[in-house]
Order: sequence, then structure tokens, then C-alpha cells
Amino acid sequence: MSFAIPKESYNGRVLALDFGKGGKALMIGGETALPFLAFEGEVPNKPVIAYEIQDSAPDDWPDTLKEIYKDVSGGPVTWAKHCQDKLGAKAIALRLMSTHPDRENRSAADAAKTVKDVLSVINVPLIILGSNNIEKDASVLVAAAEAASGHNCIIGKAQEGNYKTIVAAALAHNHKLIAMSELDINLAKQLNILITQMGFDKSRLVTDPMCSALGYGLEYTYSVMERIRLAGLAQNDATMQPPILGDIGIYVWKTKETTAEESDVPGWGSLKERGIAWEAVSATAMLTAGSNLLIMRHPDAVEAVEKTINELC
Amino acid sequence: MALSGIEIFKLLPKTNCKKCGFPTCLAFAMKLAQGGVEISACPDVSEEAKKNLGEASAPAIRTFSLGAGDNAVKMGGEGVLFRHDKKFYNPCALALNIKDSLSGDEIAAKASEVNSSEMDRVGQKLRIDAISIEYASNDPAKYEAAVKLAAEKAPGAALILNCGDPAAAGAAAKVVAGRKPLLYCATEANADAMAAIAKENGLPLAIKADGLEALSALSEKVQKLGVENIVLDSGAKSAKEILENNTQIRRSALKKKFKPLGYPIINFASRGDSMLETSIAAVAIAKYASIVVMNHIEQWKNLALFTLRQNIYTDPQVPMQVKQNIYEISGPSADSPLMITTNFSLTYFIVSGEIENSKVPSWLAVMDCEGLSVLTAWAAGKFIASKIAAFIQESGVGDKVSKKELIIPGQVAILSGALEDKLEGWKITVGPREANALPTYLKSR
Amino acid sequence: MIIIGEKISIIAKKVREAMNSRDPLPIQELAEAQWKAGAHFIDVNIGPAEERGEELMTWMVQSIQKKVKAPLCLDTTNASALEAGLKAHNNEWGKPLINSTSNDPERFVMLELASKYNSQIIALTVGKGGLPADADDRMVIASEIMARAEELGVPMDDIYLDPLILQVCTTQNQAKHSLNAIKMFGELGMKSVVGLSNISNGVPKQMRSLIDRVYLSLLMYEGLSAAILNPLDKELMDVVKTTDVFLGNTLYADSYLEM
Repeated sequence: MSFAIPKESYNGRVLALDFGKGGKALMIGGETALPFLAFEGEVPNKPVIAYEIQDSAPDDWPDTLKEIYKDVSGGPVTWAKHCQDKLGAKAIALRLMSTHPDRENRSAADAAKTVKDVLSVINVPLIILGSNNIEKDASVLVAAAEAASGHNCIIGKAQEGNYKTIVAAALAHNHKLIAMSELDINLAKQLNILITQMGFDKSRLVTDPMCSALGYGLEYTYSVMERIRLAGLAQNDATMQPPILGDIGIYVWKTKETTAEESDVPGWGSLKERGIAWEAVSATAMLTAGSNLLIMRHPDAVEAVEKTINELC
Repeated sequence: MALSGIEIFKLLPKTNCKKCGFPTCLAFAMKLAQGGVEISACPDVSEEAKKNLGEASAPAIRTFSLGAGDNAVKMGGEGVLFRHDKKFYNPCALALNIKDSLSGDEIAAKASEVNSSEMDRVGQKLRIDAISIEYASNDPAKYEAAVKLAAEKAPGAALILNCGDPAAAGAAAKVVAGRKPLLYCATEANADAMAAIAKENGLPLAIKADGLEALSALSEKVQKLGVENIVLDSGAKSAKEILENNTQIRRSALKKKFKPLGYPIINFASRGDSMLETSIAAVAIAKYASIVVMNHIEQWKNLALFTLRQNIYTDPQVPMQVKQNIYEISGPSADSPLMITTNFSLTYFIVSGEIENSKVPSWLAVMDCEGLSVLTAWAAGKFIASKIAAFIQESGVGDKVSKKELIIPGQVAILSGALEDKLEGWKITVGPREANALPTYLKSR
Repeated sequence: MIIIGEKISIIAKKVREAMNSRDPLPIQELAEAQWKAGAHFIDVNIGPAEERGEELMTWMVQSIQKKVKAPLCLDTTNASALEAGLKAHNNEWGKPLINSTSNDPERFVMLELASKYNSQIIALTVGKGGLPADADDRMVIASEIMARAEELGVPMDDIYLDPLILQVCTTQNQAKHSLNAIKMFGELGMKSVVGLSNISNGVPKQMRSLIDRVYLSLLMYEGLSAAILNPLDKELMDVVKTTDVFLGNTLYADSYLEM
């Protein structure tokens, strides 16, 4: 018996999606194989990591992370420029946290202005995220989509409870759209169906099956992502072929492992490295499961994961 | 082809003698079909049946241990490519590589680091399982001393004799034979000599070749030389090679029943930068390695990799459980509301997440219902009034809240009457049926 | 195929209220209707029944058997309530059926009751903590329950193995695994049973009946011996009759649906 490479051939293909404009525009997805398995298909585009910034100084980030951005996090414009110019960010994800009713409750018009201001100082692609308040996002993201008209952004997240207005806005202003459901492949498929039934092309969608941090349900996200990829490739399920988003940082940087002081958890090692490793390992796991786009916070974690991506591609 | 449990059952003596440790021949047959036991456990099976069954029931990936004693790590025996298909059985071993060219103090320090690496995470004791001692000195005496020293300083760790010189490896193997070290490694050049050492000392043998075709040929050769327990190194260095080769090995073994690659895999994730090494090791852990060797084992890194290994190897059929406890969300005070739910982790993550979203400081009582969701736990008689009452009383949460009011999930509204009877002095309030209604509910109270 | 009528359940509001007020009429009406529609057993699901469970089960059994000449399927996790039901049960029309034992040590007592009262019993092929991953896992559990039954002297003929049907909307693969398990139970010479409507839990209401019907037909093809279902659903019962025609269990005539 001699060895023969055990290739799988799939009828399906992950849809390629471009975002941003000009020389810095990016392309993700497009593969015809399981993650990074170039021996059995095409893997034309590397996964992309976007740096997360917020529209007001974050109050719920741990000190080790706040410290990194302390000189720039006062305003989204300086913060965005810092990520692009100093950290070499390939894309930026602006989370409009201040619009949340329990935070500053800023208006949709304020959010639109923030989006315009940020877009005026960067040339890398922008991802625009709401505060994850279902009702408020419905108005904030509509205003943000209009403000970013022509910039080919990714906006989100559209969820079961608010997708209609957000889809309409993404459609009207030519953006790409994140569809998010909660850790359930069947719900993910259903939401993608509902959105495409509104006339929104599936090739403009990004699926967010909901991320989770290492040690806090990571295996659920991991398996949902693997199953989405298999459905898209092996079953050629068109609704499961959009690229996948791993929104990593927001889940990682609230865990005990990224916040607990060394004196409180002897044996867990350096808090600084612990936080970075927690984000890097969470992100790497999501990549092996099929993520095409990651949103992360710590520059050192981004660096380690980008090196890994370069090794993988 | 593997036989079904029923086909195996037909070949067994059907005496239900229990000598195999199972209550009936049928139960034994079913376990055999799953690869959980060996046919040799049945003393009365005919030789012919034994031969047929031995081949048919052998696992696609051979199962054996790295090391000896309590901390030996079981490897192999995997049956699926994706954890959601069934589960991954044997979590991979993590190992630290130590060069024998270091000073005695340095070797001792590193081995001690391995020895004290154990930590506890959600009830499991996890540790760096093994030490790889690398033959970098080119001095057999120095190598033997280094192996001896590392073995002494880390008495619980499995050993990997990372030495391709048969003379040096053979001498070192004798010194620590009782620890059942893994010999690393046989190549095309030294296969005969290394196989002889493995056989003589009853040790597992790692084999290494460039590419899977050469590796398969070497595997067959070593197997013919009489080595049963083989570990595969495809020579993978980059993350891409690790992912691609490991995938091809696992697929060949499982989908094509290709015996030469039906063995556990060893990967070297070694990088100069420990953070990058962490990320590369994560790829190997997620994708099919049985042993991952690294250059650095800081505590922060161990914690992250132990946790990933635990996550990946969690049985997807067993609902992940949260510890029974009264959880504090957003810093509750005596006037904050108290809710109760079951300890199915997904239920807990979603309920606690929604409470966080509401920004209303709250107490959340999470009750052990063996990881079942609310309605299932109720139907199974685990989330019922008497048990909830006992839990609330024993938890002492009554002393933490000023008003004795317990909010129960809307799906078990049926319990409210009985619960009020059993929890004297408490008011039972029925909350929303679904967790996503919690923020509105809590804010409107 | 043996039909176990599922309508008398604490989950249903009308039934729950009748149970609470000890009003026998609505319960008797439901029992009679199911019996006339072709149910061989009437399931009596009183839930965990923490409060006066023994008295409630005794009252239920006596009330129902006053009107219906059929054996009952006694459905509760409360062992003493179940025992009270077995004592009250009139065996003139057949042995009662216990619902259920499993590989969870908390449920072993049910098998002891089956032995003590010479009753039939449903055995769920699940253990403690965790669901069976596939048909093989179910077979391993089945073989363990069968060994336990043998020790207690419960005849294999009195056991109905239940693969545990899970909802297709969240655990799609399990639909296939349960079909396989039914086939394997049959190969062992064992009887099988399912709680049919579990398959359509959680799906939109208008689709439930279709999903139940198609799945039942597949289960019967694999050799299902009994099903807990709603015998008042005429379309579902027609599926049973039609499948029985295909499988050669009944002789075809134009009016077979009316029989």
C-alpha cells in the first residue's frame, strides 16, 4: 500500500468579498478548500485582522490594554490614525459604543459625524459596528451607513431583531453587511436567508456566528464555524458561503484571565503576556476553524497572529 | 472494514461469563465496536474469531501511552476529523525541549519548571506532560547525564529522548527505561539501530521523514522490524506544514484506513519568540497533534494552551457545565434582584450576558442540573421545587438580599406555587421565558 | 405498530387544570377520544409530581380506566407516584407500561418496579450527564440496560428501547442517528419506541405535523415497534396506516384508511 494524498474536492466555494476602496482595499474569502488547505483547492486571500477602536474612551477595558492606547483613545480620529500609521493596521473596526443607551446614549447623528471624521483621516478599509443594542443599532447603523456612503465599508451587526432597516441601509449605500446570530448554525443560515430574501446579495454578506473567548465557550464558536465551512463547501449550501467574522477582542478582554492581577492569581504568570496570549490563542483557534476576518485589540496579539497567518498561507 | 457491534456479538461465545469485565457479551461487543477495549479481554473467544476481530476491531489510529505511571498520557485512538462529529478522545501532550549542551544548573532549572507546571482549571489538573532532551552536545556521556538529571528533577514527566545517534540514545534509554521514554527519532539512515533499541527496551519510537510518502515507507519498515508503538514526525516546521501534514495523516488513517499513518503525531512548534510559539502550538493542538514540543513554557502560556486543549477536547455531547454558585453580575447590593437558572454553560453565558447588557446589578443563582437547559432539567426532575428550595436555602443567598424574592425562568412558571410553599418567607416571581427579554424586564422593574 | 396516546400531559394547560382541581371529565374525554382513534396505550404524564404525587397518579389511573379499557403508560420521574399508579392499574386489558428507565442511576428504580409489578417498561438509551453521540453510543447503553434487566428478571420482551428523539432544528444529525439506532435495536431482536413529537420541537408550528409525519414513516421503515404520538391527528394516523401498507403489514383495499 502506498501513500496517496487524501484530497477532498468540494463543489462549493467561500464567496470572495472586497471592502474599502483605492489601493488599500482588501479582499477576503474565495477559498475552495477547508481553512489553509491549499493542497486541495484555492486559498486566494489571507484572513484580515482589523484593529478595534471605539468612539469614546473605553471604560471597561483592563488597564494593561487601556495603557497601550492611553494617548490616543480620547478621540476616534486620533485613535484610528494611530492604528493605521503607527501600528500598520490593514483595516479598522470602529465600534460606536457611546451610542448605547446605558453609556453616553449619543444620537445617530453624532455617530454619523464620528464615522465621517474617521473616514476623512484613514485610507484603510473601515468596519462600522453598533453598540450591540438591538433597537439603537437599527437607527445608528442606518445613519452611519449613509455617512459612509461610497466607502464600501462593512457595517453591522444585523441581527434577527433589527436586520430589516440595517439591510436596507447597507443596500442603499453600497456597503457590505455582518449578519450575526447566537452560536447556532441553523439560526445563522436562517438569518442569511431572510437577508437575501430582501434582495441583498449573498456575496455582500459576512457571517458572524458569535465569537467566544478561550475558556468561555470557545469550542461552541469553533464547531459552529467548522460546520458552516463544511456546509458551504461540501454541501454547496449557498447561504453558508459568505466569509466568517471572528469578533475576538470584545469577548477576550473581559475574562478573568485578561484582568486578574498577578497577586490575586499566583501561578497564572505575567498579566501582560497572559492577556496577549489569551487574545492570540482565541484568534488562532478561530482561524483554524474558518474565520476570514478578525477584530482584535492588542497590537502584540495582532502581531503574533499575523505572523501565524503568514506561516499558514 | 470495521464490524458493527452486532456482527462482533455473533462471533463471541455468548456465555455472559463477565470475565471481560462487562455484564454481557453484547455489552462487550458494543464496546469492542467502538474501539474502547481489545478482543484479548475475552478468554473464551475462538482463535479464528480472535484473528478476524483483532484486525477488524483495531482502532484506525493506534492507542498507547507516552511515559509511564500516573501521569502517562494516552495518545491515539481518535475516530473523527471534526470534534462536532463525535469527540476528540485523548488530549495532546505538551512538552518542553531542553538541550543537553546547557549547564547542569540550567537543565535542572528547566526540568523543575516542568515539574511545577501543574495547575487546576475547572476541576482538571493540567501540566506540561513531557520533557524532550535534545542531543546537541554530540557527547554521549553528557547526554546521558542530562537525561538522568532531567528525569530526576521532573519525576512525573514523560521523557522524549530527542537523539538520533543510536549509541547515545541507547545508553540513555537504559538509564531511564522504567519511565518508558519515547525514542526520537528513527530516520531512513538509522532505522535498524533505533528499532532495535526500541524493541530491546519496549519503548515507543518516533520516526521522521520528509514528506508523507517517505514517512509511510519508513513506518512500514519500522513496523516490519517489530516496533508496534510508532509516533509520526512529518518534518513539519511551518504552521502550514503542520496543518496540512497533520490533516493528511489523520484523513489517511480514518478515511482510507491507511495503516502506515495510523499513529499519533508529534509536532515541533519551536520558535524563538514565545508568543508566536504559543500561536503555532495552538494550530497543532486544534489540528490533530498528539505531542507538541516547545522551547518556552511560561505560566501565562501554559494557562492559555491548557485551556485551548481542554476546549478542543471537550465532549460536544456532554453539555458544558458551570459551577453551581451564586454569581454576582455588575456588583450587586442587597437590593439587587435575584434570578435562578440551570448550570448548562450556554444557558449561563446567554443569561449572564443579557443581565450584563441590562447594566442592572444582579445576583444569579446557578443550580447544578447536570448541564441541562431549564425545560429539559425540569422534565428530568432535576430543576424542581424541592431541589431548588434546598439549593437556595443551602446557598445562604437569603442573607445577602434584603427582600427575599426569587425570579424564576418563565418556562417553569408552573413551579411558582410549589416553590412558594417550600421556600417559606420567599416571594416567587415569574421572569421572562427567553433570556433576550431580560434587559427590558430588569430595567422595568 | 403500537400507538401510545400522548395527549394527557401536564404540559397541556387544560389537563394541568383538571389535574389540579381533580376534575376527571376533561381527562376521561381525552382518554376515550385517543382510545377510539386507535391508541393501544394512554400515556399519563403527571410531570415530576412533587406534591401528592402518589395520590394524583392513583386518581388518574382510576379515573381513566373507568372509561377506557386499555392499559396505561405511566409517565413521571417520581418513583413512589409511579409505584402507586402500578398498584392502582387494572391489568385486565394488558400490562401497564412504565415511562421510563435509563442508564442514569436515578432511574434504575424504575426497572426494579417493572420487575416487582410484572410491568412493561420504556428504556431511554441515555446515561447521566451527556447525550449519546450516535447509534453506537445508544447500543452500548442499551446493552447495559438489558444486562441490568436480565439481573432483575425483566423479560426482554417487556422492554421498549427508546433512542431519544431530539429536535431536528438544533440537533439535525441526531435524526439520522436515531433512525440507525431503531434498526440496530431490531437486529438485536428488541422492541423500540419513540416520543415522536420531540423531532419537531422548536420548529414553526405550521411545519410540525409535516416533520412528524415524514419522520414517523422513516422510523417505521427501520422497524419501529411503538410510538408515543397524538392519535387525534388524523393525517398522522393515516401515515401509520399507509406506511403499514407499504411495509406489507396490512392488506391494501381502497378503503384502508377507514379501517
